[in-house]
Amino acid sequence: MNPLAILLTLSAVLFALGLFAVLTRRNAILVLVGIELMLNAANLNFIGFWRYGPPDPQLTGPMFVLFGIAIAAAEAAVGLAIILMVFRHTRSTDLNAPDSLHG
Amino acid sequence: MTLLLAQAEEPSLWSPEWLPLLPQRLVVDLLTNWGAPDWLVSLAATGVAAGVVLGVFMTAFALLSLIERKTLARVQNRIGPNRAGPFGILQPVADGIKMLTKEDIVPAKAEKLLHLLAPILIVVPAILALGVIPYGREWTPVPMELGLLFFFAVGSLTELSVFMAGWASGSKFPMLGAMRAISQMVSYELPLVLSAIAVIMVSGTLSLPDIVNQQGGFHLGFLPAWNILTPWGLVGGLVFFVASIAEANRCPFDLPEGESEIVAGHMTEYSGFKYALFFMGEYLGLFAISGLGVTLFLGGWQAPLPGLDFVPSWIWFFGKLAAIIFFFLWIRATYPRLRMDQLMRFGWLGLIPVSLLTIPAAGIWTLLWRADHGLLAWVITVPLLLVPYAIMTVLFNKRLVRANRTYRFAES
Amino acid sequence: MISLLILAPLILLAALGAVWKARPVHAALLLALTLSLGGALYIALGAGFLGLVQFMVYVGAVAVLIVFALLITRPRDETEEIARRPKSVLPGLLCTLPLVAVLLYAVGRNVAEPAAEAKELPIERIGELLFTTHAPAVLAVAVLLTAVMLGAALFAREPKSFGVRRLASALGATEELGSPQSADKPAPAFQNPPTTK
Repeated sequence: MNPLAILLTLSAVLFALGLFAVLTRRNAILVLVGIELMLNAANLNFIGFWRYGPPDPQLTGPMFVLFGIAIAAAEAAVGLAIILMVFRHTRSTDLNAPDSLHG
Repeated sequence: MTLLLAQAEEPSLWSPEWLPLLPQRLVVDLLTNWGAPDWLVSLAATGVAAGVVLGVFMTAFALLSLIERKTLARVQNRIGPNRAGPFGILQPVADGIKMLTKEDIVPAKAEKLLHLLAPILIVVPAILALGVIPYGREWTPVPMELGLLFFFAVGSLTELSVFMAGWASGSKFPMLGAMRAISQMVSYELPLVLSAIAVIMVSGTLSLPDIVNQQGGFHLGFLPAWNILTPWGLVGGLVFFVASIAEANRCPFDLPEGESEIVAGHMTEYSGFKYALFFMGEYLGLFAISGLGVTLFLGGWQAPLPGLDFVPSWIWFFGKLAAIIFFFLWIRATYPRLRMDQLMRFGWLGLIPVSLLTIPAAGIWTLLWRADHGLLAWVITVPLLLVPYAIMTVLFNKRLVRANRTYRFAES
Repeated sequence: MISLLILAPLILLAALGAVWKARPVHAALLLALTLSLGGALYIALGAGFLGLVQFMVYVGAVAVLIVFALLITRPRDETEEIARRPKSVLPGLLCTLPLVAVLLYAVGRNVAEPAAEAKELPIERIGELLFTTHAPAVLAVAVLLTAVMLGAALFAREPKSFGVRRLASALGATEELGSPQSADKPAPAFQNPPTTK
């Protein structure tokens, strides 16, 4: 069997699982879990194409993954800070809780 | 693989330099004589190498648990354990038997699986981390090109297992202890990694044996070329060792398990062998992190003076390790525990800026040193590190004097 | 290839758990497991550097952050989550299944025959590229991370030291901008109607 195909299938399913979590979860932190899964699926694709593709001296795939990881970390930090901020106001991490517009 | 290749030189089997590798070489010889396949030989070689490291550090753990109590007792003008065997030498054995025979209690409100996994997941990273450190000229259990990165990657698992321990116990003190431990570990891992980055920059490799090799040789005929004897290395090394005390949860940074405040932190709900595992993980982690400090800043297994090369290199390594650990014991016996906000302020406003400074200092130092401007390198980097440090000290002291303590509960 | 066949189902199982587990802490820990297995897969594919970085950043930082946020917010019991499930699963599946179908169709149709030889990620080349070709990107990421650090620290601070709030409190409007709990505080004594003789 084609290893690249397995890898791409894995990453497609991972991405779908992440999307499912984002769509169905109501807790904002668990939505973030889904987003991390989706980002990871994308990274997996980049690695897969680098590994099984033609030789690339510019290492485009791995470099993209490196920056992707850095940005995922930044996104998680800001996301959680915002969630904590909202939590301080509404005493809940439910995404439907912050439904009033005042400060 | 590197190990097997290195043995092609065939030194005498019993030479002291190769003594720690003796079991491994015997097994490899035996298996090749039996005509075992290559993968089996290399697997067995790695297994035996890991076994030797484990044996050495388990013994060291047992000894340290006794020496620590004896040293603390000496500092506090007591005698310390002296009942089991002469001078209490059998105390670790007695402790071990006690731990093994105690009842293993799992609280009713605990999450059984996570409660069981946590102590195991604390010991495993410490053992894995011990595997990549070069203990002697020929003795690196698992030589790895990415050794330093592997060390930190594995070390980051500890935070999650501490959380698991705290959360799965299902009661207050473990939870508070875990929250403290995680915030402390996350904060102090930054200065640890940042000061290691300066070393990586100068040596241009992530492989720990190579980093030690580059610290060989002597300046002016007697000064060892260790990283700690450069301005950036001195600052980075001090930051590294302070941060590693915090990372190993030792006094004065032992808030996560401060007995006088939150019982035993995340280990409160553990008993018997699981508690012993936590204890073991902590000490193995201490060995690993101070071993890394010795490797990065104190020249690893390099001899401190020329002409001392006839002593087996691993003896130098363990000598330095013992000195560092004794220093930690001394600190533990001397300083009181910090408060949580003091701990955080010290980490974020003290250690992290200083460790950030070591990176440009190391860059300038290397550039000038390679261009043969040794004196200029000193003249530039020393003020670069000292002036901000002096400013920070002044600011800190100002703050310390101004801050009023508020007694919220005592005065009402 | 063998490691891929072993790791892929494990990753899928762990990810499924992370998505499906109702108890938030379990989901977060399973996310950490998924990500570390992903790191192991990177190592198996020859990108050891990226695998270890993934381990360090995701398991050591992101997963810990998520877990820490869960500790602080203490989400309520998971019964609510389970009760909501019948309503939310169907729309979720309706949105994701077509996506999976399209992606798998694309994968099944035209995947090139992979290069057979094993590859190892050259670390020194990565360093070289980071400071030549990708130097602007590195600078941008550095600025981004600094901004994130400052922003997160600012967000996480006590509300009273926040700029707008400090201004508001200076103008005497402390409670109006405060958290909604101020509504259920007892009214201050001086607002009671004065008793007239």
